[in-house]
Amino acid sequence: MFSRTQLRALAAGVTTLLSLASLLWQRHERPGRGRLLHTHGREHVMLDAAHTLNRGAGLLAFSVAADSAMEHYRGDFQNRAMYTPLVTSVLSLVISGQGQQDPRAGNNPLRNAVYVGTIGTGLAGTAFHLYNIGKRPGRLSWSNLFYAAPVGAPSALVLSGVLGYFSERLRGETQDFIPRIFGLPVGQSVGLMAAAGLLGTALEAGLLHFRGAFQNPAMYIPVSAPPLAAGLLVATVAAGPAYGRLRWLSRLVLRFTAVMGLAGAGFHALGIARNHGGWRNWRQNLQAGPPLPAPPSFTGLAFAGLAAHTLLEDGRELAP
Amino acid sequence: MSAELYLEALETPRARGGRAPDVFSPTGWVPMREYPLDEPVDFAIVGTGAGGGTLAAKLAEAGFSVVAFDAGAWWRPLSEFASDEEHQQKLFWTDERVCSGDNPLVLGTNNSGKAVGGSTVHYAMVSLRFRPEWFRSRSLLGYGVDWPIDWQDMWHYYREVEQVLGISGPVRYPWGPKRPRYPYRQHELNASALALARACEAQGIDWTSTPLATLSAPRDQAPPCVYRGFCVTGCSTNAKQSVLNTWLPRALKGGAEVRDLAMVGRIETGPDGLASGVHYHRDGSWHFQRARHVVVAGYAIETPRLLLNSACPRYPDGLANSSGLVGKNLMVHSNQAAWGLVDDEIRWYKGPPSLAISEHWNYCDDNKDFFGGYAFMSQGPLPAAWAETQVGNRGLWGQALVDEMEKYNHQVGLKIVGETLPQERNRVSLADERDAYGLPIARVSYSFCDNDLRLINHAMRFLRGGLEGIDAREIWSETEGTAHLMGTARMGDDPRTSVVNADCRSWDIRNLWICDGSVFPTSGGVNPSLTIQAIACRTADRIGDMARRGEL
Repeated sequence: MFSRTQLRALAAGVTTLLSLASLLWQRHERPGRGRLLHTHGREHVMLDAAHTLNRGAGLLAFSVAADSAMEHYRGDFQNRAMYTPLVTSVLSLVISGQGQQDPRAGNNPLRNAVYVGTIGTGLAGTAFHLYNIGKRPGRLSWSNLFYAAPVGAPSALVLSGVLGYFSERLRGETQDFIPRIFGLPVGQSVGLMAAAGLLGTALEAGLLHFRGAFQNPAMYIPVSAPPLAAGLLVATVAAGPAYGRLRWLSRLVLRFTAVMGLAGAGFHALGIARNHGGWRNWRQNLQAGPPLPAPPSFTGLAFAGLAAHTLLEDGRELAP
Repeated sequence: MSAELYLEALETPRARGGRAPDVFSPTGWVPMREYPLDEPVDFAIVGTGAGGGTLAAKLAEAGFSVVAFDAGAWWRPLSEFASDEEHQQKLFWTDERVCSGDNPLVLGTNNSGKAVGGSTVHYAMVSLRFRPEWFRSRSLLGYGVDWPIDWQDMWHYYREVEQVLGISGPVRYPWGPKRPRYPYRQHELNASALALARACEAQGIDWTSTPLATLSAPRDQAPPCVYRGFCVTGCSTNAKQSVLNTWLPRALKGGAEVRDLAMVGRIETGPDGLASGVHYHRDGSWHFQRARHVVVAGYAIETPRLLLNSACPRYPDGLANSSGLVGKNLMVHSNQAAWGLVDDEIRWYKGPPSLAISEHWNYCDDNKDFFGGYAFMSQGPLPAAWAETQVGNRGLWGQALVDEMEKYNHQVGLKIVGETLPQERNRVSLADERDAYGLPIARVSYSFCDNDLRLINHAMRFLRGGLEGIDAREIWSETEGTAHLMGTARMGDDPRTSVVNADCRSWDIRNLWICDGSVFPTSGGVNPSLTIQAIACRTADRIGDMARRGEL
């Protein structure tokens, strides 16, 4: 269906397109655009970032909802607990949608509770998956890392919850000083969290793309761009208010990662087409082929990284 | 489509008129170059399996003119391979043969194929390398004979074949020298393979995912394996990487011609004592293809049969037979199994039959009361094959058979591929009877020797212990059974004790080559297809070198 030469050309072409798209997006960014339209400047920066985080949390929740539904259905819901991530991720998705539409500042206890519950489910899921691996012959072997319950998958749920939790913290902040989460100024805190999420997700993509033998060169993109984005984000956080070029580059690579997450779903659709019977045999190949809903996780995390930038910019303005 | 249509390929040759079947499409064609009969081609290759098909591709790509012949049909897997064990017997070489000896061979399913692509069309895809010491088994291990090829040379060619077939193998292989990473990752283990893993852990030995020639991710026109489980009756998705869908498409692109339903009956030799071409039967009559070189790649029964049947006044004992060894030293693999019943649902028909393997007794020489080694693998016989095992080995019939078959989904098993020693008494010769082409049929005599039986006993004790270790019940041993064919035209360093040299060139006739499992001096405890292809790759490279030096 596709020769190796065609795949190489495709990977190169798509990388170019993604770069152009992220450059265009970056160009149309107008710093502080929201603030001009709103009277409550300070409050709005926080709210704007909170909305972006809601968007990220929602995307991750959507990814988990679709992915866990498909994978746990494939596992025949053998354990009742396998319904849990489905329920919590849908709740997180709904509440993130609501949060993104909600123009009010201030904490919402229900959203907060859902996000905390989402974090808990993700942590429990990781423990469950590790337990599942541990009881198989070979224990922590490649075979089990490839094919047993995926260790990294429930972390997406944790990340969704954490993004949401952060968004709630932001909404609570209206004072004229730099708010802190976990002891760090909010921009730095969100930035480091997004970077960790990007790295972890890239690690999972790396494991699964290694399982697929990187048969399509495009499979290298999600294991290289997100770690680069994470590195630049951490550097931005560490560098402090100066280094405008670094910030520009960091935002650009985050945007690349965000667009890539969506393009990734397209590549996975192509992967499904390359399974026996292709899309005509969708009932089987949606499960046998690469997971369609997984790549947008990167988009969600990249949004969080961009929100961190907004907050960092704001922090700079507030800095004495 | 009617049932007859699925057999259309057997009726009239397909590869003609400048085109050949496209194996990647249900009905399509690909262009094929054709060569006239009366002009000598560089190479006439008899057989298109692991030896001949590989060689055809490599030689054609090196710029030689090549015509390859196969007695079998050119199937299109996507449209002509049914999920039906009985129907798929169309892939086996079941022509009449006289089988004798203490352990007369059962020919067909696991040792001979009759199709373009040879038996790789229905092989179990198990792609293992020989243990390095086996290439010098006489000097290092005290049995058999040494190969004339160095193991590092062979490992170089193993690498080439593994790349071409996109072998899906484990990230780390537990035995032998470090090997390069397999091009594709291991497959998911089925419950049958997990049972092997648990049995090995109970016995305290290593196990791993089996390196298999079926894809674990898409590759070119081939999709990844769907774990349909009909591997040994013909893969209908092309996930299996056989000679039919890897080397032969390359051969055609390289300019080779492949003639299907073309049975070669005799190699002609000229007054100079050299081979001058082959007589083959196609379309109801005999034809003669002139050639500068003839390669015989018909596997360990048909190869000696053709050489012996090509006897002429100058070579009264058959071609390449001054050593008297053509047809002798036929080897098989012992293929015994231990079976048992477990409480868990296994459903071993899912996926390739042998997803997990232990080569422990190939690499460990401690406490052995026999020479050689064996690998053992998890099993997944399809229902008809399993019923046949019950009838053939345990004599179950009627209600007893029905009752036994009820347990099918809970059955587990471990089966060996065991090394057998070369013995001159195990041989292929010509019988008086003649087949449909008027050719004398092969007489195949085979008997295990004491060492072979000791190996089998060791294996059966060990495998039963493994099954006991996972609390299997109703354990029984299948003591009959062989797989694969090797020997009958062994390679060596000395014209008096071998038929061909390390380059697969016959000692007696310098433009006659033998390139298939026949040239194995020893059998090793692993499935032979990877080694045959590696030898073919090496031979092609050597032929290229010799041509450049004017030594052909």
